[in-house]
Amino acid sequence: MKGTYQLVAKRIIYAIITLFGLTVITFILSHAGGESMVISTYLNPQSPVPISIQERNLEAEFHLNQPLYVQYLYYISGLIHGQWGYTKTPIFSGPVITAIEYFLPNTIELSVLAVLIIIVLGIRLGLISAVRRDGSVDNLIRIVSFLGVALPAFWVGLLLQEAFASNLVSPFLNRLPLTGNVSNSLMIGLSWYQNGISYPTHFIFIDAIIHGDFQVAASNFIHLILPAITVAFTSLAVVIRMTRSSTIDAMQQEYIKTVRIKGIPEKYVIKYHAQKNAMIPVVTVIGIMFATFLSGVVLVEYVFSYPGIGGWIVQAFIADNLAGIMGANLVFGIILVTVNIVVDIIYLFLDPRIKY
Amino acid sequence: MIEEINKGSRKFQSPRWVSIKLTLKLLFRTPTSAAGFVIMLFYIGTALIMQFAPGLIGISDPGYMPPNFSNPFPIPPSIKYPFGTTYPGINLFPAVFKAIRIDVFSAIAIVGAGAIIGTLIGVVSGYKGKSVDQVMMRITDIFFSLPFLVLAMAIGFILGRTLNDIIIALIIVWWPIYARLTRGQTLYLKNELYVKYSMLSGNSTIKTLFKHIVPNTITPVLVQMSVDMANVILAIAGLYFIGFAATSPYLPELGSLISYGFPFALTAPWTILYPGLFLLMFALGMNLFGDGLRDAFNPKYRS
Repeated sequence: MKGTYQLVAKRIIYAIITLFGLTVITFILSHAGGESMVISTYLNPQSPVPISIQERNLEAEFHLNQPLYVQYLYYISGLIHGQWGYTKTPIFSGPVITAIEYFLPNTIELSVLAVLIIIVLGIRLGLISAVRRDGSVDNLIRIVSFLGVALPAFWVGLLLQEAFASNLVSPFLNRLPLTGNVSNSLMIGLSWYQNGISYPTHFIFIDAIIHGDFQVAASNFIHLILPAITVAFTSLAVVIRMTRSSTIDAMQQEYIKTVRIKGIPEKYVIKYHAQKNAMIPVVTVIGIMFATFLSGVVLVEYVFSYPGIGGWIVQAFIADNLAGIMGANLVFGIILVTVNIVVDIIYLFLDPRIKY
Repeated sequence: MIEEINKGSRKFQSPRWVSIKLTLKLLFRTPTSAAGFVIMLFYIGTALIMQFAPGLIGISDPGYMPPNFSNPFPIPPSIKYPFGTTYPGINLFPAVFKAIRIDVFSAIAIVGAGAIIGTLIGVVSGYKGKSVDQVMMRITDIFFSLPFLVLAMAIGFILGRTLNDIIIALIIVWWPIYARLTRGQTLYLKNELYVKYSMLSGNSTIKTLFKHIVPNTITPVLVQMSVDMANVILAIAGLYFIGFAATSPYLPELGSLISYGFPFALTAPWTILYPGLFLLMFALGMNLFGDGLRDAFNPKYRS
């Protein structure tokens, strides 16, 4: 196991280098527009200090008249001290750090639910597909998974909204909310919910349960259903395909033959012997899928007016707000690097043979 | 005697031609990949007609969707407007076909440029190895640590908001996948005897790379390109949908057509249905084609 820990350390060092490179990219992009552009990202519109004095202070604080590498050091120290600039969009105005506090928990809630749907449904359907290889069920699942890759996420979201707003679906499902993340009328006067941020964990669902407000938790959950299904559907195909092909591979291994010769029923052969080994490539594919998945999250949050990081970056983009775009870029980068490192570590422990 | 030799030489087929014929034969063996091939031909054909002879199907201005402000609100499909109209009074039927031209050509430009840049970087990185490789792979890591749509937005913010800026932004986002793919392939090919022989016989690095390594990376790159055509067109449409190119509102593009229908989606479903269907068909076709191509290049099926 000693070698495994060394590999984990190596992965973490790579992740730190990647994060470092990420700040270089955001630095280059936010400094490409010249000094006035840099200053505009840090100006605080709500501050009583006049703009001209703020500009002078910022120029001194970030050493904007010095060479770029010096500016980079002050940019980094600004990031570490929480100076990420000010964002001004129709859905949120204020410091980028507060915006992240406001939006990130919602994005995580949506992503966790969607990833759960993907893993549970994807592995299930992939296994069924592999066991009934080339049968009609297999073909149906494959057609659905091809559709999933090819469907534009935002278009699926719009069609779902249309379906749930019309009389196409049953009256019960009609009550599924189409936009937002919680019914605003429920939130009025709650002591643990201020300015769109819930306390103490910032996750509305968890906080509602902590405070025993199950109606709020339920409202939050039903708001998540449609966007989560939309995001999940477009990424499901990757997991289905990988599970299918790796299960088919695993079923042809020698040790499966041995198990079958022993007379173990086919159900248990799959459940206890084939499935475990088939999961190893699926774990990697989930890591690879995640970048595309987050791109889908951006569009879906926008379509469903969901208050998450993705909805925020689109609004910042429309409002020409550089601070918001760069802040969201950094957040997405950190999420992706973290997810990838977790996946890599899980992979190392699942398959100790692997050597990078 | 000479006639016989001539006859024989007429029958002679170059190995490359035989290989292409085998690939096509394998592609048409499964109905799904054949369907993908036909869909791809339909879209490329439409794009070419729109580029060179739009008059053939009665379209005069392929780069512009004329708005009609006297009657801006969506009209349902009818004989006059087969797909209906969308805000502001745009006739959807010609607009969708005009949009196919721009989407298909942009996707070809992005995937083509991304594949060339990525292949060059990946092959050199894999071949040189050591520190060059380390640096290159850490750079691709950085690009892989951002969702492509988010990075494209950040780059697009700096570049500007026209179609060309979208294309450049997406090329910057899209090359790393080819770099990784061809690097892995190169690491494997480097140990092949013919590559070693080429190195030992005094061929220059460039000659070895272009004569022995690059041609052998082409098949996985082609498969990746066909699948990426679908991903790129969805990315372009997504960027247009969020209003990336709001400065040129009458440029026909499927994503921007959907965004015009967005406020009317609940009352006028056709405004988002038709542009979305044409987007879906293309992405589906390219995915089926790519899948077929992957099987057709698989040595297991070729022998």
